[in-house]
Amino acid sequence: MTFMPVDTETVLRVQDLHTHFFTDTGIVKAVNGVSFDLLRGERVAIVGESGSGKSAMAMSLIRLLAFPGKIVSGRIDVAGNEVASLPESELNKIRGSLVGTVFQDPMSSLDPVMRVSDQMIPPVMRHLEVSHKEGEAIAERWLGRVGIPDAKLTIRAYPFEMSGGMRQRVMIAMALSCNPRLIIADEPTTALDVTIQAQIVELLKDLTAETGASMLFVTHDLGLVARFAHKVGVMYAGKLVELGPAADVFAQPRHPYTQGLLRSIPDAADGTRKRLFQIPGFPPDMRLPIVGCAFADRCAAVRDICRTEAPESTYRGVNHFASCWAPTGLDQSVVERQVKMPERIVEAELSPDPVRADALRSDVLEMNNIHKHFVRRSILPWTEAKTVHAVNGVSLRVKRGETLGIVGESGCGKSTVARLLLGLEEPTAGEIFINGSAQMVFQDPYSSFNPKMKIFDIIEEPLVVNGQSSRTERADKVCSLVSQVGLDQSFLGRYPNQLSGGQRQRVAIARALALDPSVVVADEPTSALDVSVRAQIVNLLCDLKDELGISFVFISHDLLTVRYISDRIAVMYLGEVVEYGPAAQIFDDPLHPYTRALLLAIPTPDPVREAARKIELVTGELPSPFVLQKGCAFASRCPKVADRCRTEKPVLRNFSRQRETACHYAA
Amino acid sequence: MSKTLLATIKTPGFHFPTISLPGKSLLNINKKMRIALLILVPILLLTAFSSWLPLPGPLQTNLRAIMQWPSLAHPFGTDRMGRDVLSRTLSGVQVSLLVGFSVALISTCFGIVLGTVAGFFGKFIDRAIMSVVDIFLAFPSLLLAIGLVSVVGTGLWPVIVAITLADVPRFIRLQRSLVLSLRSRAYIDAARTVKASQWWIMRRHIVPNTIAPLLVTASIAAAHAILVEASLSFLGLGIMPPAPSLGNIIRDGQTYLEQAWWISTMPGLVILLIALSLHFLSDGIREALDPRARK
Repeated sequence: MTFMPVDTETVLRVQDLHTHFFTDTGIVKAVNGVSFDLLRGERVAIVGESGSGKSAMAMSLIRLLAFPGKIVSGRIDVAGNEVASLPESELNKIRGSLVGTVFQDPMSSLDPVMRVSDQMIPPVMRHLEVSHKEGEAIAERWLGRVGIPDAKLTIRAYPFEMSGGMRQRVMIAMALSCNPRLIIADEPTTALDVTIQAQIVELLKDLTAETGASMLFVTHDLGLVARFAHKVGVMYAGKLVELGPAADVFAQPRHPYTQGLLRSIPDAADGTRKRLFQIPGFPPDMRLPIVGCAFADRCAAVRDICRTEAPESTYRGVNHFASCWAPTGLDQSVVERQVKMPERIVEAELSPDPVRADALRSDVLEMNNIHKHFVRRSILPWTEAKTVHAVNGVSLRVKRGETLGIVGESGCGKSTVARLLLGLEEPTAGEIFINGSAQMVFQDPYSSFNPKMKIFDIIEEPLVVNGQSSRTERADKVCSLVSQVGLDQSFLGRYPNQLSGGQRQRVAIARALALDPSVVVADEPTSALDVSVRAQIVNLLCDLKDELGISFVFISHDLLTVRYISDRIAVMYLGEVVEYGPAAQIFDDPLHPYTRALLLAIPTPDPVREAARKIELVTGELPSPFVLQKGCAFASRCPKVADRCRTEKPVLRNFSRQRETACHYAA
Repeated sequence: MSKTLLATIKTPGFHFPTISLPGKSLLNINKKMRIALLILVPILLLTAFSSWLPLPGPLQTNLRAIMQWPSLAHPFGTDRMGRDVLSRTLSGVQVSLLVGFSVALISTCFGIVLGTVAGFFGKFIDRAIMSVVDIFLAFPSLLLAIGLVSVVGTGLWPVIVAITLADVPRFIRLQRSLVLSLRSRAYIDAARTVKASQWWIMRRHIVPNTIAPLLVTASIAAAHAILVEASLSFLGLGIMPPAPSLGNIIRDGQTYLEQAWWISTMPGLVILLIALSLHFLSDGIREALDPRARK
C-alpha cells in the first residue's frame, strides 16, 4: 500500500498500526492495521462514521490515547522519529514542535482559567528556544495570521471571553506557532456554524499551503473533504478500506462503503429528486473478532469469499487503493436502482388544473408575526436584566402535505420556532393556528426517551395520555406504527439504550405519528446520526410524507438535506425570516445576501465543483442577540451593505409569485 | 480532546450495552454491594433470630456473673448487673435498624412528595416549602434532633420522629434539585407535546428517574440515623434504660472501661460495622447507577 516518493519528502509513515482499547467489557479493536504515507504539504482527510476508529488512529500518531487505549503494534514514523517506541520525554519534544494538534471542541481543549498568552507563549519558548519577549511576539504574529483582530489585546483574554470560532482560531494559532511539519486536526469544525466552518477551513488551507506543513484531517463531512483534501482515506471498522487522491475517490470510488456513502448524500446539482441510496444495517461490534470483510453484512455486492477471507488493499489506479474482492465495488445496476420521487407541491401549485391547485390551498399551520423574547436576569440584583430576541416577528404558513425547511445558523431562532409550534413555549406576541395537532421529532432521539421505559411504552404513551381506546387497540396501533417506520416488533420489549441511533430515531418518528398529527416538526432529526444512517431516515420521512399526506417542518443546518426533502424553505437570521420560497429556486438563485453566503459556505461532496467554485466568505460573526439591530440584522456582515441598511429595517415582501425576501437591494 | 476520545471508546460500532439496563441496574451486584451485604445479612439474621440463640434475655440479670470476660457462654461478656452483652447488643441492633430504616423510609417518602411538588410547580409553593427547609437546614442535625426530642419526649417512636424531622429537609432539597434537572429533559418536552397531564409527567417520567439517586442518599441517611440514635441514647435522651440500645449500652459501660472494656467496645464495633456497610451499600448503588464514576 505504501508508495515511495520520488523527490518529495515523506513527513509521516504509518505501517500496520493496531490500537486497542482494553475496556471492562472486552478489548475494543479500534484500529486494525492501518498503513499510509503523508508527503510534505499534503492534506489527507480521514473519513468514517463514529466508531470506525478514525479518532483513535489520529490520536495514536502522537500517542495521546485516553486511558484504556494502547498501541498494540505497528510503526509510526514522523519525520524520522519512531513515535510508537519513543519514551514519553522524547515524545513531548515532538508534540507541539514537529506535530501540532487541533481538537474538535476548542472550549474544552483550552484551559478556561488561563489567559491565551499563558497557554501560547511557554510552548513557543520551549520549542523554538526563544526568550519570553520573542515568544510573545511570535504568538501575537500567529494570532494576527489566523485572523484575530487586535492580537495584542486578545492574547490577554481568557478563552470564555471569545466566541467558538475565535477559540478555534486560537487553537490553530497554537498548533502552528512552533512551525510543525505535521498538523493533526480531529473534527476541527464540527462544533462550529457553517459560515464560521468555511472560514476556518479556508484558513487551514491557506496556512498549510504557506508553511508547507502536512495535515491529517479527521472528519465525517464528505463535503469538507472535497473542498479541502488532496488525499482521502475512508475508514471502516478500524481499517482504511479505501485510500486515494480526492478527485479519484470521489469520481471513481472502488469500495462499496465509499460508493454507498457518496450516494447517500443528496446531489446538490441534480434538480430531479431520486431516492437516496441507503446502506442497510449498522457497523460491527469492534469487541468481537471479525471474520472476512467487516463490511460484508451491509454490502450489496457481497460474495462467498467476503465472508471467509478479509480482502487485502490492492492497487486501483494511480495512488488509489481499496480493500475489496470486487474489482469495481458495487454493480452499477445496484447503485442505479432508485425510485423517482413524486412531484413537489410547489410545482403542483403552479399547475393549470384548478381543482388540484385548489386542494393545495388549505393551510395546516399559520404563524402570524410571532415574537419570543427571553429575559435573562443576572444573579447580581443591581445589574439590568438582558432581553434576548430569539424570534422577532416570524410569519410562516404550511400547506397540507407540504414540507417547510427552516435553515439558519445556531442562534438564529429556528429551534425556538419549533418549540413555539408545539406549544412548549408561549409566544411573547403573535398568534399560531394549527389545523389538527403538531408533533415533534427531536434532534437527539436518545435524550427524548425516558430511559426507564420500554419502546412499547414509549410509543404507546401518547395514546394512553389522550385516553384513546382499549389496551388491545392501543397494542395493535403500536404494532402498526412500528412496522410503518420499518422496525421489527421484537424491538418493542427493549429499552432505548439497546437500540442504535437510527433505530431510536425510527422509534421517535413512530411516537410522533401515534396521534395522527397534521404537522410533524423535525428539529435536526439527522444531525446526531451517522452518515450511512442519515439516508435511511430521510427516505423514511419522504415515504411517510407521501403515504400519509402529513406536513413537515424540517429544521436543519444541513442545507443539502433540507433542499432534498423540502418543498419550500425559510432562511432565518437572528430571529427573522430573511428569505422564503420554493426550495429549488432558493438554491439556484438566492436573493438575500445571507442566503447566498450560507449556500457558498456549504461544501458539496464533489472536488471538481469545489475547485471551480469561487468562495467568497462572509466575514465576521453573528452580532450579539442582546442588542436589537436598528436596521437590517445582516448589515454588519453583508458584502453589499449600504447606508440605508443600517438605518431602515427591510421587511419580508413579495419578490415574485412564490418568493419573498427581506432585503432592500434584492434583484 | 478527552471528549472525542471518550466518544471513541464509548461507541465502538453499535453493540448491546452491558451495563445499567434501566430498571435492572440494581440487580447487578457489584463488589462494594457484596461487601455491604456480607456484613449486613449476618447481623440481620442474628438480630432476627436472637430469641432462638442459647443466650439469656437482654434484661435478665445474674449477680453471680457480673463483668465477666467474653467466653463461650457470653461471647461479648457480661455487664455490671451480669446481663449478657451480646444479647443486649442484639436487641440494641434491633432498635438501631428499626430507627435507621424507618427514618430512611419516612424521609424518602416525604422527600419525594414535597421535593417533587416544590421542584415541579416552582413559584409560590416552591418558595414556601424551600424557606421552611432552609430554616431546618440552618441547624446541625444532631442539635436539631436533641431539641426535638426534648419537645416530643424520649422512647423509640419519638426518637424516630425527631431524627426524621431533622433529616427530611435534606431529602426535599435533593429531590427538588433532581426534579429541576429532569424537568428540562427532552423526554419531558416529548410528553408535553402529546398533552400529557402534569400528574402523568410526574408519575411516569420524573419520580421513577429520581428513585435511584434517592436510594443512594437513603442508605447514607440510614447509617446517619443509627449514629444519631446512638448518640441520643448515649446522652440519655433516646431509648431509656433498662431497654437496651447501642447508645445506652455504651454509656453504661463507659464507667467500667478500665475493668470491663468489652461492655462499651463490642456494641461500638457493631455500630461501626453497620455504618460502614451502609456506606459501602450506598457507594455500591451509586456505582451500579453510574459506571463511569468508578475510575
